[in-house]
Amino acid sequence: MESVVSFGLALLLAPLFPGVILKTKALFAGKQGPPLLIKYFTLIKLLRKGSVYSASTTFVFRLGPLISCAAAIMALLFFPFAGTAPLIAFHGDVIMVFYLLGLGRFFTIVAALDTASPFEGMGAAREAFFSTLAEAAIFVVLILFFRMNGALSLAAYFSGSQPISIIGSQGALLLLVIVALFMILLTENSRVPVDDPATHLELTMIHEVMILDHSGPDLALIELGAFYKLFFYASFIACLIKPPPLADPVANTLLFYGVIMLLYMVVGVVESIMARLKMDLVPKYILTAFALVFFAVILTLEIV
Amino acid sequence: MLEAVFCLPLFAGLIAFLLPVKLGRGVLVVGALLHLQLTLLAWLSDFPPLLPGYFSTAPAGILVLLVTSFIFVFIAPYSIFYMREQEMQSEPIFIGSMLLFLGTMSMAALAEHPIVFWIAIEATTLVSAPLIFVNRSKKALEATWKYVLICSVGIALALLGFFFITLSMDRAGIDVPLTFSSLNTAAKHLDPLWLKIGFIFVIIGFGTKMGLAPMHTWLPDAHSEAPSPASALLSGALLNCAFLGIFKVHTLMVLAGLGDFSGSLLIGFGLFSILVAGIFILKQPDYKRMLAYSSIENMGVIAFGVGIGGMALYGAMLHLIHHSLLKSSLFLSAGNLLLGFGSKIVAQCGGMTRLLPRTFVSFFAGFLGISGLPPFGVFVSELLILIGAFKAGHPVAGGLFIASLALVVAGFARIVTSMSFGPSRQEILVPEQTLRIVSPFALLLTSAVLCVWMPEPLHQIIINTIAVIGGTIHG
Amino acid sequence: MINSIDLILVLILLAVLLSLGSSRMMALIKIMALQGAMVSLVPIFIEPQARLSNGGILFFQLMLLIKAVLIPGLLYMALNRIAIKREVEPLIGYHASLLVGLGLVMLSAYITRRMGLSLPGDYALLLITAITTTGGGLFLMMSRTKAITQVIGYLMLENGIYLVGTALTKHTHNIYLVEFGVLLDLLAGVMIMGIILHNINRAFDDVDTAYLEQLKD
Repeated sequence: MESVVSFGLALLLAPLFPGVILKTKALFAGKQGPPLLIKYFTLIKLLRKGSVYSASTTFVFRLGPLISCAAAIMALLFFPFAGTAPLIAFHGDVIMVFYLLGLGRFFTIVAALDTASPFEGMGAAREAFFSTLAEAAIFVVLILFFRMNGALSLAAYFSGSQPISIIGSQGALLLLVIVALFMILLTENSRVPVDDPATHLELTMIHEVMILDHSGPDLALIELGAFYKLFFYASFIACLIKPPPLADPVANTLLFYGVIMLLYMVVGVVESIMARLKMDLVPKYILTAFALVFFAVILTLEIV
Repeated sequence: MLEAVFCLPLFAGLIAFLLPVKLGRGVLVVGALLHLQLTLLAWLSDFPPLLPGYFSTAPAGILVLLVTSFIFVFIAPYSIFYMREQEMQSEPIFIGSMLLFLGTMSMAALAEHPIVFWIAIEATTLVSAPLIFVNRSKKALEATWKYVLICSVGIALALLGFFFITLSMDRAGIDVPLTFSSLNTAAKHLDPLWLKIGFIFVIIGFGTKMGLAPMHTWLPDAHSEAPSPASALLSGALLNCAFLGIFKVHTLMVLAGLGDFSGSLLIGFGLFSILVAGIFILKQPDYKRMLAYSSIENMGVIAFGVGIGGMALYGAMLHLIHHSLLKSSLFLSAGNLLLGFGSKIVAQCGGMTRLLPRTFVSFFAGFLGISGLPPFGVFVSELLILIGAFKAGHPVAGGLFIASLALVVAGFARIVTSMSFGPSRQEILVPEQTLRIVSPFALLLTSAVLCVWMPEPLHQIIINTIAVIGGTIHG
Repeated sequence: MINSIDLILVLILLAVLLSLGSSRMMALIKIMALQGAMVSLVPIFIEPQARLSNGGILFFQLMLLIKAVLIPGLLYMALNRIAIKREVEPLIGYHASLLVGLGLVMLSAYITRRMGLSLPGDYALLLITAITTTGGGLFLMMSRTKAITQVIGYLMLENGIYLVGTALTKHTHNIYLVEFGVLLDLLAGVMIMGIILHNINRAFDDVDTAYLEQLKD
């Protein structure tokens, strides 16, 4: 029961937080900014509209949004929010989770290619390239967690008897992981400094350019999928930096969402103070994240 | 109080920065003379240090201090007359830095605590940087940058070496104050592995500063771009100070029973330096760079002699003294040549015999001396090293030593003859001046005198220096 | 509770790695300031608090001031004065540099393990950090063309050596007076390097060491 509630809560709240980013950025710019619930309004608006399909597209184009959103929701099923047991958990589910996200990305890319637009092809190529690099970093994180915890399951990482957390015995190493994961979060979710969600020029886009041809409910699904994906990564980091769990489940959940809120605010701050990287510097950026995690792995090898 | 020996030039140097040029020149000469007196006091009479944990009158240090102070007394007046011809823009800085340089070198020579020694050596790099840069040309800039950076990094490695030596003390569980003398007394108990690692870092670190190949790359640049008095000081005094660091740690190694390890390293670096210097001298178009390479060669000779030990050790100490005297004399003569010809390129100089006869005598005599011909001291010292090498059972190394020396002499002779007797130029820029000739001649004369007659206290201090690690004069 | 010394060391490692991947001069200087601050904090956390004398407290404050404020400040001023292009311009690319950084960590971990038995105390991570920092500094000096980056590399090298000193030796024989001398040398060194930098910039209109190749045999 508790698991279902926490899962529902996550599904419900995920679209709220991107509004937090917008609000932070607006405050930094000295503007009032959109209301916090802006993303809900956008979703409702989009869902009420109809979809337009280009005559040159096939069923693959319609499949893309559906699968990417479904994959993101699936991934959340495995996640132990605020330490409560997830709905599904088995040995090795972390690999499943990341490949689910990969599947979602695959269909987004395929849908973009299906339009046969040169812009979208370009975006797809960039997305594929950068996420391939990021995947390496993620899997090194998993190797590290396996070394620390001996498990291969999200539930065991964050809700078991020995949760992996910065306050644990090897917390210092997790500092490297947190920095790296944050960098991966920005990469995977197309945020500054890798991609700029607010840009207007197709040539400089990565994620946005791939979904140019989607409209109405399809676009809503893609947006929703993106919110869930971002929420997944944010929860991942939040679990690492969260203070020790409180006895009261409600207070615990509140604490968890507080940390998440903080993370989104940091994303907003980063977007406000940083410029986008030149496209050819992005691989270096991701490689830095990879190197950080790899560092941590080497250190565990020697110290433990 | 012993500390006055280095405090005096340090203060004088700081004051000289502020004084007008004329007064500053006076401070330079007076400071040099006072420093020599203090050095003699420290040498001949009882002169206890105020901080015995940091400074001492260890014989090796006194020897280096004595050489430094002695050649400085001659370089100081020379540099005044040299600078008058040069119309230097920033003479107060030059004078101040000279004195600071003397002060830091004296501090290094008297240091008893390894880290204090390190601090002093690093400080010599920093205060001598302005001396090299004083001409403000692009080349001088490059030389200064290389000098500061390469030496700083090298010396940083030496600090690492000292840390390892400290570690060898900790590993053995010895708790004595960290001074060279107390390390020496406890040498037998130190952890040998860490001592070895420490020595490797020290020889690479101070070897950089001393100009041992292959870490010598900064040395020809710095020596050729610096004004001649500064080159003379760099070559005649600074290299000895860096050598002192290696020597002190080598002493420790010998006492710890690891003398073979450190000795063979020294022999290897020494021979390699002589060889490299010989190769580079052969085709050298620039006579100041040639002198710089000759310094590398002579540092190699000293390292070689110390590495062999026994009688060669005595020869090495003798070589240190005579090299300083002759090489600073040569650099001062080279300064006169540079003023006269306005060029450092051998091909553009010629007819020295006719145009600059007195400088020719000093330069040529210096060449004979540094090549190991009598009546100059290098003859004796190299002979002793050679005999020592054969006696100690290093015939191959001895053979290589002779071959490399021959290479150096050949290259040297080519340049000197071409400059002396080659096609004559029409006129010279600055004529010879007696005041600028006195210093090189005095230094040469000292070397010649010391070759035939060694004062007893000097002999005694060399014996004291080398007795600790089994060096003798009788083999 | 979280181990504060580990945290500091990991931050130092982070600074090494970030500096290898950093393409902006300003960022590099900020990273150095962070590293300097962390390095000066290390001995405080290693030593039992009770042993810290008044002189020690004064010394650590001075060290923090010099390493984290004065030296980066000097570099910052130098950078502003000479208005050089703010890109680092490496000889060896950022990707390769990062990989070298990883290699360095592996190497130092290997060295530490080999020496592991003969180490006083339980400072494996400290030694790994120290060796990596030293190596990273050397690498930075060799692989970047700008003279100011070489100064930064030198500083990192010094930081590493200082860490080796703290890692390996018992602090009893290191007297603060002596350490202060070392620190003063470092400060003066950076100042002198700054002056030379300024002159290099004036003479060549750039601080690229590629211009410094006139003198050779």
